[in-house]
Amino acid sequence: MKTYERAFWPFLLPALLVYTLLFVAPSLFGFWVSLTRWSGPGSEMTWRGLDNYVALLHNEVFATAFTNTFVMAIAGGALIFGFTFLSMVVLRQLKGRAFIRSVVFLPLVISIIAIGAAVGFLLNPEGALNTVLEWFGLDPQPWLGPEMVFRCIVGGLVWSSTGFYVALMMSAADAIPAHVYEDAQLIGATKWEQFRHITLPLTWDVFAVSAVLWVVNSLKIFDIVLAFTTAGTAAAPPIPARTIAVQQYIVVKGSGLPELGSAAAMGVMTLLVTAVLIVLTRRITRRDRVELS
Amino acid sequence: MRRLIGDILLPRVTAVALWVWVVFNLALVGWVGIQSLKDSGDVWLHPFALPETPRWDNFSSAWQAAEFSAAALNSVLLTVFGAGLIVAISAPAAYVLARSSRRVAAPTISYFAMGLSIPLQTILVPIVVIKLSVYTFMEDWVTGWWDNRITLLIFQVALSVPFAVFVLTGYMRSLPHEIEEAAEIDGAGPLRAFVQVIVPVARPGLTTVLVLNVMGLWNETLLALLITPLPEERNLPAALLGLYSSMQYSSDWGGMFAGIVILVYPMIVLYVWLGRRIVDGMTAGISR
Repeated sequence: MKTYERAFWPFLLPALLVYTLLFVAPSLFGFWVSLTRWSGPGSEMTWRGLDNYVALLHNEVFATAFTNTFVMAIAGGALIFGFTFLSMVVLRQLKGRAFIRSVVFLPLVISIIAIGAAVGFLLNPEGALNTVLEWFGLDPQPWLGPEMVFRCIVGGLVWSSTGFYVALMMSAADAIPAHVYEDAQLIGATKWEQFRHITLPLTWDVFAVSAVLWVVNSLKIFDIVLAFTTAGTAAAPPIPARTIAVQQYIVVKGSGLPELGSAAAMGVMTLLVTAVLIVLTRRITRRDRVELS
Repeated sequence: MRRLIGDILLPRVTAVALWVWVVFNLALVGWVGIQSLKDSGDVWLHPFALPETPRWDNFSSAWQAAEFSAAALNSVLLTVFGAGLIVAISAPAAYVLARSSRRVAAPTISYFAMGLSIPLQTILVPIVVIKLSVYTFMEDWVTGWWDNRITLLIFQVALSVPFAVFVLTGYMRSLPHEIEEAAEIDGAGPLRAFVQVIVPVARPGLTTVLVLNVMGLWNETLLALLITPLPEERNLPAALLGLYSSMQYSSDWGGMFAGIVILVYPMIVLYVWLGRRIVDGMTAGISR
């Protein structure tokens, strides 16, 4: 018997147990809590069935958080992949492309909280950006005020995430042999057409995975909202900027007895939405696989 | 017209935009560093000027404010132990999953992959409940004390295991089969064979996963805010949020930027040092 067959269970069990007991089982427990009214260990747990879900659907604050998350996922996704595709048109040949690729990825290694603190300083009402605007005779804007903060967050999100998808898609594009492009150039295809008819079809699989990843990540957007809105204070972020994760955090952390049942229901709903969006994304991105013979 | 747009206009505009993006990223990182060396008045009044004399004492004031020194120690310990544990647990599992011909192997891999699409929110409430119960349970019945930082460490590990197993399984598959034969002839037991033969060969992949987890754990925010809210148990991102809010009153802006530097620069150094490998590892595991 091979060594790895003998060692199968002893090697697998630690990971399997940690994952099952501390990740999968708590998820199921969360589902159970979402069907009750409960404010934590030591207090009484009463059965509510689907009432938590019904109440959430009628809760305006949650509806806003839900819509916000959705808009961030769609609008953010469109911008991110728009920029990614444009970069792919040129990044194959541009001078300094390796350097560009590594610097564009840089925001991914930086804490969003730190980005929020720095950018919050720049976007303050009396901050640096407004000072610069005044030099040009333009009116200062309340960037982080309730009306504009949502757009600023989406902007920050696009800036900090796009590098990851560029890296992901470019690593797939690197595998395409150069002679394909040379042939395309001979028959007079423009750079855009080369991207449209060669790069994109050949990297479509990775794009499908990237889109699913973005969906999963966008539904957990949390720290960037905190960093852009609360300036570190204990205050809750304004409602127009809340995401589902933020709303859930507020409910769990909130003063008085936390409504854990309701917060758990938000978690389960996020899971359901994630599942639905993953299936939809798969559907939309499903194509016949293109391969070079 | 087609040529003008597709060959000249679009590529040129995109290239310029990319360079603007690059310059912005570098400028932001550099600017944060410069700001951290100014006195607080200059930070606010001349945000884009160079410091007259570097104010290194900003770092000592940040270090003392908001329990930053304790937070730094917490972050280092959580990151080192967390990342080490994740790899130590995931690598053997990934190895047998990648190699075995047993029928349970494939469904088990899918089972781990499922964890990648479960959002953190789904288990947020259970984590809070478990945190409270574990604390009372250990304090009343077992050890007489407990530290929420241990709970944070355990959950950080549990939540990172699916990704690590998934990526490493893909990586282990790409290793040649011949390497075990050497160990088998040698007559070594499974554990010794793994440590002495497989780990050295798989080192690039293991390092990548290790570093990815180091970055993830270092920047962890939501879990840290929930599980370890007290000032002395906070990690660096949570402490920076605290520092940020106290600076609103004390206006020690130089200190705040010093705090940002303490949080950000170690990861940038790590990235500059191992850069390409991190990007490759992050992308290779997923695009497979």
